[in-house]
Amino acid sequence: MTLLNGSPADLGLVRVRRLLDGPIDVTFPLAPGDRALVAAGESVVAGAPIIERVRDARLSDVVLPETSAPKPGARIVDGELLFDWRGRWRVAGGEFTEPMDSPVAGIVREVRAGSAIVVRATGRAVRGIVTLGGPTRGRLHIASWIEGELRSSSVDVGLAGTILVVGSRIGAETLTRARAMGVHGIIVAGLASKERRDYAASERRQRAALHRLQPFAVLVLEGAVRRPLAGPVMAILEALEGQEVAIVADPPTLIFDLPDLDVPPPRPDHVRIRAGQLSGREGSWAGLVGPRRFDGGVHLEAGTVRLEDGSVVAVPLGDLERFG
Amino acid sequence: MTTPQPHAFLIVDHGSATVSAALIGRAGGAWRLIGNLAVPAGGDLGPAIGVLVARARVAHPGLAAAIGIVDVEAEALPRLEVRSRRPRRLAVVAGAERTLGGLVATAARSGWRPTGASAESTDPLAMSRLLLEHTVEAILVGAADPPRADERGAIRELAALVAAVAVRRPEVPIVLSGSMSEGLEEFGDVGGRPGEILLAPAAVGLGGEGADGVDPLSKLLLELALPADDPRRALGAATQALAEVLDRRIEVIVLGHDAAMRAVAAPGAGGEPSTVRLAVVPEAAVAPDDPDDAVVDGVLVWSTVPADRHRLRDRMRELRIAPWSDGAGEGAALRMAAAHAALVRLAAATHTFDSAPVPDLVVAACGVWSAVPPPAVALAHIDVIRRPGASQYALDHARLLGALGAIPDPGERRLLMADLVDDLLAPLGTVVTPAGLRAGRSAGSVVVHGADGSNELDLAPGGLELVDLPPGSTAVAEFRFRDRVRLGGKGRHFAIDVAGGLGGLLVDLRDVPLRLPDRADRRRDLLAAWQASLWAGAEA
Repeated sequence: MTLLNGSPADLGLVRVRRLLDGPIDVTFPLAPGDRALVAAGESVVAGAPIIERVRDARLSDVVLPETSAPKPGARIVDGELLFDWRGRWRVAGGEFTEPMDSPVAGIVREVRAGSAIVVRATGRAVRGIVTLGGPTRGRLHIASWIEGELRSSSVDVGLAGTILVVGSRIGAETLTRARAMGVHGIIVAGLASKERRDYAASERRQRAALHRLQPFAVLVLEGAVRRPLAGPVMAILEALEGQEVAIVADPPTLIFDLPDLDVPPPRPDHVRIRAGQLSGREGSWAGLVGPRRFDGGVHLEAGTVRLEDGSVVAVPLGDLERFG
Repeated sequence: MTTPQPHAFLIVDHGSATVSAALIGRAGGAWRLIGNLAVPAGGDLGPAIGVLVARARVAHPGLAAAIGIVDVEAEALPRLEVRSRRPRRLAVVAGAERTLGGLVATAARSGWRPTGASAESTDPLAMSRLLLEHTVEAILVGAADPPRADERGAIRELAALVAAVAVRRPEVPIVLSGSMSEGLEEFGDVGGRPGEILLAPAAVGLGGEGADGVDPLSKLLLELALPADDPRRALGAATQALAEVLDRRIEVIVLGHDAAMRAVAAPGAGGEPSTVRLAVVPEAAVAPDDPDDAVVDGVLVWSTVPADRHRLRDRMRELRIAPWSDGAGEGAALRMAAAHAALVRLAAATHTFDSAPVPDLVVAACGVWSAVPPPAVALAHIDVIRRPGASQYALDHARLLGALGAIPDPGERRLLMADLVDDLLAPLGTVVTPAGLRAGRSAGSVVVHGADGSNELDLAPGGLELVDLPPGSTAVAEFRFRDRVRLGGKGRHFAIDVAGGLGGLLVDLRDVPLRLPDRADRRRDLLAAWQASLWAGAEA
């Protein structure tokens, strides 16, 4: 019986988590006053400047000759034209600018002044949940963590320029120190809301300063609670050790352009328990068992998983994920 | 020999958190719900349908043969499919804060995620930045009709600003509401623009009131926000059809992962057609995108599990990221608390619906209830939406309503609804809520006259009284109160027809509105005690 013996077809009921995506469109937001340094159809290389951002944009009024045929979004010396109001154009501009480099190579698909630049990035991508800060680029390095967490004291200037993989979670203090030491990015499984809030406040204070900040990004792969990185994801990150990778914010993604890098896929029946008491454990699919009663008196559709130690456990289907 | 044609089809509702598949078969001359299964969104639908059909074959081979699903490929069965889309972002701008407030409130209950700015408090640069953001998918610019004194000076410049944005983002639809419609000429040739420019009435309270409480701006925004086959928008048509089929006042409350919906429908009477009002409120989603302090505090109020703000915010983020996950143990308690808080936000956004008469039947629906015993579902609703009166409660357990509402032909929709109505609604029971009880040892008594005899119960103010009344049974509940109370009308003696359900008859003698202890531990204990009476194993 299909229902009871755990045929591979049952495995289709388990949600698939895509390990690698193909070329993806990366969006870099533009604000009124920012200048796009690229045009649609152009190719960009990693590290090439694509945007000149205005710090503290201001509004001014300019009278333009009618012969110049001004249009909203066009640029003049004072900045970007917004709209015509009673014969005077409102202009967004600013005294100080800072360049933003593309963290990825690709083709510019769209440039919309004041809105966004979209680049089709070459290479492959590992999706995350959210990126704080960014975009950034650096050499991937797997840090050594203790009990799933990288301690602040373990980060030193020798890690400058790297993107660190740091385990199941990280504190705001370690994030702040990493940025101060010249680390370019962090990849972590979970980031608690408190750490996220504290780090965001620190980031805002830094940005309020006049000097330009080095690019720094935190890519969260899983969520907000402590949970180890999934084995198949960790296998990809281990294969990327020492390679140049990029973190972008929209969509929150790790991107690498290494066509020859071979990442062996996990076994088709490999499943991971994402939540509940066995959160983070991995094993092989042992079949669908139908509705089961779980803690709290709830009845949920369940499957069984054979863990690495040989034991078989029943787990709600919603708590499982497989990789594709 | 020819292969018999199947007399069956599938209804598939692709939700944001889960996908629900239901097998419908023609049996005994009517369409019946044969079975259903929900799986996490992102799983393969094919195996889910295979399991669903295989279970039907095993459970009742004779029925399976009769509806012709024995020898057919499960995935080849005809399908009625609906798909929920993530609510889109609407930028709302106005000349004055008061006008902006009315527009944002209307947009927020019309399927949009609005972000607003007024000329009163925002400079043209910040407003341009908002309107040009690449995540903005439509723009609403409005003024009262006629324009109010505090916005008259600003709306012409506002029209010029929005018209310039319209040039730069030609694909974005723009709604000109109220007297802002007079600024249409600023937009030039609107016919050649890919995104529509729509003229709309002002918001309610700003000169845009329609007849019989209808909100024309909200209706237009709903149609712009959601396509006709979106189950959220189709919920209005489904509720109306249900009211017509049952000839009763119906309220449907759906708590979704991306938005909550509330629809109220009344059947036609005295030659008047049936009516329906629908609100789609993204900010009342069970797990909002970014759980701010207000959301977290709202969940904390209803939580039966001790948790500090940070931990609860983490759990809410996890619920947002993987809503299908962690449904047991504390995860079930979290869902219950999050659903309560979502109901509070929904009730606040749709407070104008409260002026309607108490519905005869309240239908609950949402994936979050799949992990909660059905009787506790009714309790969650009456904890929040408190009104004196008597209503039946039911659960759209197979998530059919949205799909049925998406059937374009009203006649066909009603026919299918009439066939399926007994199957799609799992009866939860009847809730009787008197208001105006005085504190004391006893408020009176109730005698339930059922088919198996009569059962008398003393009524203690402040608590919940449960009377076992199984699904399918009916009874007359005769209430005798010591003092005059409100229960529909005012009085001491009431006789109410009640119908049974999974929770039986629930007499809710708690305060209207509900008062909860300020101290968190006492509040948790009280909520847990109420839930325990309807949720076996909740304390496990």
